[in-house]
Amino acid sequence: MPADDIRAMSEVLAADPSNLVFLQLGEALRRRGELDVALRVALRGAERHPQLPDAHDLVARISSDRGELERAVAEWERVLALEPAHGGARKGLGFVCFQLGRLEDAAAHLGAALGADPSDSSLTAALDTVRAALQHRTDASERATIPVKRSALPADVGRPVPIATLRGLPPINEAPTEPGRATTGLPRHLHAPDADTGAVFDDLLEGQRSAALLLDADGLVLAGRYVSADGRDLAADIGAQLSGISDEASRAMRHLGLGAWKQIVFETEAASVAMAPSQEGVLLVAAARPIPLGFVRRVLDRALERARDWMDNA
Amino acid sequence: MPRTFSHITDSLIRHRGVLGAMIVGIDDGMIVVSTLQIGVNGNAFAALSASLYRKARRSAAAAGFGATGFLELAAEQGRLCAAGAEELVIIVVCEQRVNLGMLRVELLRSVEQLP
Repeated sequence: MPADDIRAMSEVLAADPSNLVFLQLGEALRRRGELDVALRVALRGAERHPQLPDAHDLVARISSDRGELERAVAEWERVLALEPAHGGARKGLGFVCFQLGRLEDAAAHLGAALGADPSDSSLTAALDTVRAALQHRTDASERATIPVKRSALPADVGRPVPIATLRGLPPINEAPTEPGRATTGLPRHLHAPDADTGAVFDDLLEGQRSAALLLDADGLVLAGRYVSADGRDLAADIGAQLSGISDEASRAMRHLGLGAWKQIVFETEAASVAMAPSQEGVLLVAAARPIPLGFVRRVLDRALERARDWMDNA
Repeated sequence: MPRTFSHITDSLIRHRGVLGAMIVGIDDGMIVVSTLQIGVNGNAFAALSASLYRKARRSAAAAGFGATGFLELAAEQGRLCAAGAEELVIIVVCEQRVNLGMLRVELLRSVEQLP
């Protein structure tokens, strides 16, 4: 959309803040990648028109583009509460659930969206992708942080939904506490000899958008998992690629006289990564970029305690 | 664009706890410009820090995480911070007590001035 049109719409909105032109303006700004401004416009519009489903749908789409999936989910749920057959919200929730690795929910939402608009070829393609991923899925268990209310799922979906996908795992500041046990202590079920080693850090993490891995000195995975959006566990690949950084750090520290290294954090386009030595190996936490670096460091500290507990009990 | 980057290292060294600031070639670890306190072995820090940054960048790219920006290594007796552009990386050597948040912001701002 030309800049002149955006300017014209901005002027209309400035003259009449309750004008529904904010929907077009916010969408135009979103398409131009001006997400901060787009969000401001959309939030102001949604505040003035709280009963307008499209206003919340706009906030949700912009939030999704910004990587703020929590807000996107909440806004789309609001849309469905106002208009249960809203195809845009179903589609949006379908894509978010897919991103979170919750393939059954994604298929349900996308199926409902396709039912509402059978001519949308992007929905057909997305649904095919999700179904293919479901077919290829192994035993990797679903994990999620961002809870989607059961009521937001299509009513005609008659399959059981795993508890974890509805409630999500507790955020770090709400990790379950047992009497007499520190919050970072090893959960009781992980003491069992046949405990799922992939799940050792699950309750410390920010769900599917973050992962923790405990690697041995050779870069092999001891515990933790890194589940991709299509349900595959990439822990071995990620661990092998990143474990070499700790060797390089040790080499540098030997020559620089700064003592042993305690922690490395780095930010990339897609993730914030923190790692620290843990016994003879290394512990690694990776989180999707919207999650701040300080939070990742905090998770790393707690995961280190957990790893120590787990190794002591292994 | 300025021909030298000494204003960047001069500004970084003013942070409390910073012992040295350098701009270094990522591939060769050679110092382009530096501002160091007395006693800091710039060449060793430059070579080893650039090597660490290079390793992190390659590993992160291989893991599918994309380009690397800010990196911090905390050790028992100090910290290394780095932020890189395509060919150059800014490296800061500092004590434990440095204000990391402030330093990170300035590093990321400064790196935008590098080619």
